[in-house]
Amino acid sequence: MKTYGTEPGAPTPVQVGISELAVSDGDDTLKSYGLGSCLAIALYDPKTGIGGLAHAMLPDGDTAENSDRKPGKYADTAIRALLRRMVEQGAHYTDVEAKIAGGSDMFEFESFGEGVGQRNVAAAKAELEKLGVPLEAEDTGGDHGRTVEFTPGTGTLIVKSSNGDNGVTEL
Amino acid sequence: MKLDVNALGTFYRMAREGAGLAAGRLTHMLGVETQLGVTKLNFMRGEEIRHDFEDGSEKVGVRVKLTGAIEGYSIVVFERESALRVVETLLSEAGPDADVDADVDDVGEFDEMTESAATEVGHIMNSGFIDGWADVLEAVIDVSTPEFVEGQTSEPFFGDIDEAPSDDDLALLFQSRIETVGTEVGFNHYLLPKRESMSRLLERLRTSDGIEYDKLEGFDRMAERGAEEVAKTATTLTGIDTSVEIRRLNFVSLEAIPEQVANEKLVGAAFEFDGMPSGYLLFLFDEDSAHEIVDAMVPMEVDEDGFGEMGTSAIKELGNIMASGFLDGWANVLDTTIDHSTPEFIHDIGAAAVDPVIIQLGENQDFAFVFDTIVVADGREFDCQVYAIPDESDLERALNNLEVDRIEETPTTAEFQEVDNA
Repeated sequence: MKTYGTEPGAPTPVQVGISELAVSDGDDTLKSYGLGSCLAIALYDPKTGIGGLAHAMLPDGDTAENSDRKPGKYADTAIRALLRRMVEQGAHYTDVEAKIAGGSDMFEFESFGEGVGQRNVAAAKAELEKLGVPLEAEDTGGDHGRTVEFTPGTGTLIVKSSNGDNGVTEL
Repeated sequence: MKLDVNALGTFYRMAREGAGLAAGRLTHMLGVETQLGVTKLNFMRGEEIRHDFEDGSEKVGVRVKLTGAIEGYSIVVFERESALRVVETLLSEAGPDADVDADVDDVGEFDEMTESAATEVGHIMNSGFIDGWADVLEAVIDVSTPEFVEGQTSEPFFGDIDEAPSDDDLALLFQSRIETVGTEVGFNHYLLPKRESMSRLLERLRTSDGIEYDKLEGFDRMAERGAEEVAKTATTLTGIDTSVEIRRLNFVSLEAIPEQVANEKLVGAAFEFDGMPSGYLLFLFDEDSAHEIVDAMVPMEVDEDGFGEMGTSAIKELGNIMASGFLDGWANVLDTTIDHSTPEFIHDIGAAAVDPVIIQLGENQDFAFVFDTIVVADGREFDCQVYAIPDESDLERALNNLEVDRIEETPTTAEFQEVDNA
């Protein structure tokens, strides 16, 4: 969901909807609700405090027609778009680190093949490795949903899981 | 008149673009943050549009007539109190000298000043939408002077419009919602295009053979039959009297589907179905309703936390029978068979249960027709949302195979909102 007229530093967390991405350099929190097989990709530069969050839906944007219009939709193009925007705002490419969460496989449907969640996780890891961005932490897989909140300034990714005791993990 | 997914996709982009511009202008005008709700293209019968509109609340609207690239009416509709609140904000922005008596609690009627301020706001919103559509279509749309309308029924809003669909006509309706952040100001926007104008547009935007517009009647019949069957089987199995509250056929971008689902933990069952068409079917209950259903289906006292084994199997069983009923309803209309998988139990955040399905469909399509149904019970907790999302190319083929005569042969068995549960 897009919010119009958001002032920087507004107290409400910025919502990053499916296929969207957002970059911030302050103490803003970026939030994605109800990730099932979608993947939250958080990149940040610990030295400058610049970072961003993407809510990717599909693994491979390079073969898709609309990935230049919607880079946040695909794990690979989302990572590149986040990096580019962060560097434009002053982040140093070589300092950037990554954390990911999501990519559950909620249902065992025949049509899903090996699992739509796993494909997203694998695609993100491959792209991070290609770009030389270290993956610092992850909370992926399983068969439950997650809500994530990312603070670029500190690099903290809070993951609320909806399984069992509704655990909260801080990555 | 024929339509295809590309043409509808362009319509959808128009609606999003227009809603974005309108939201931006509202922000600018009122100095508040605004948020875009879900944008939908709905295929609705005139009867349903009226039913939808008549929720008993007082509404005010601002209506303009369109000519040029789109002909028809664009209407911005506020809840009466929302409109007064907007006017209050606007006039207080205008400066402390303005002589304003627009306190929501005091004002029963719109006076000349508040009416003209509301008209102004509505007109700016309408213009935002229209500019957005014109941008996407790269064409000129002319706008009449705005007209202020108020009332409780749809009559003052649509009654005198020739383009408004009659009860049984299936109309394409553009619907958007914009809300201000932190306050309860929201409004709905409707575009009612003229049939010939829409036909010309569809012709221009279509890139494939597409579907005969009249065959959409088949969609509507599918939605109706499916919904009826769900209410019927739910009643039989739980003993709770249920009825169809809403059933609607939406055309939306895949990403918009999880946004519609409540942002809380829901309970339900998911299925994949296979045939012509294939796709996915989800039944989602809020937790209270799910507990009520389990209590109704499992006679003994169950000492389990959450939904346990008994609760899970009760929900799965109910889901399974509702799925069979729903898909049989479709198969009858389409004269085919549709098989479904065993149920997958869901107890999770609503969006998380829906996103795997849209991801799978997203490999091949950007948009989806969503058969959106809500089944409720009188006086008891039973709130069931049904999402049926067919594979787009299958659905197009299924509809094209559908003989229009056959639609006539499977007439409506029940009036809207009066499903016989006996």
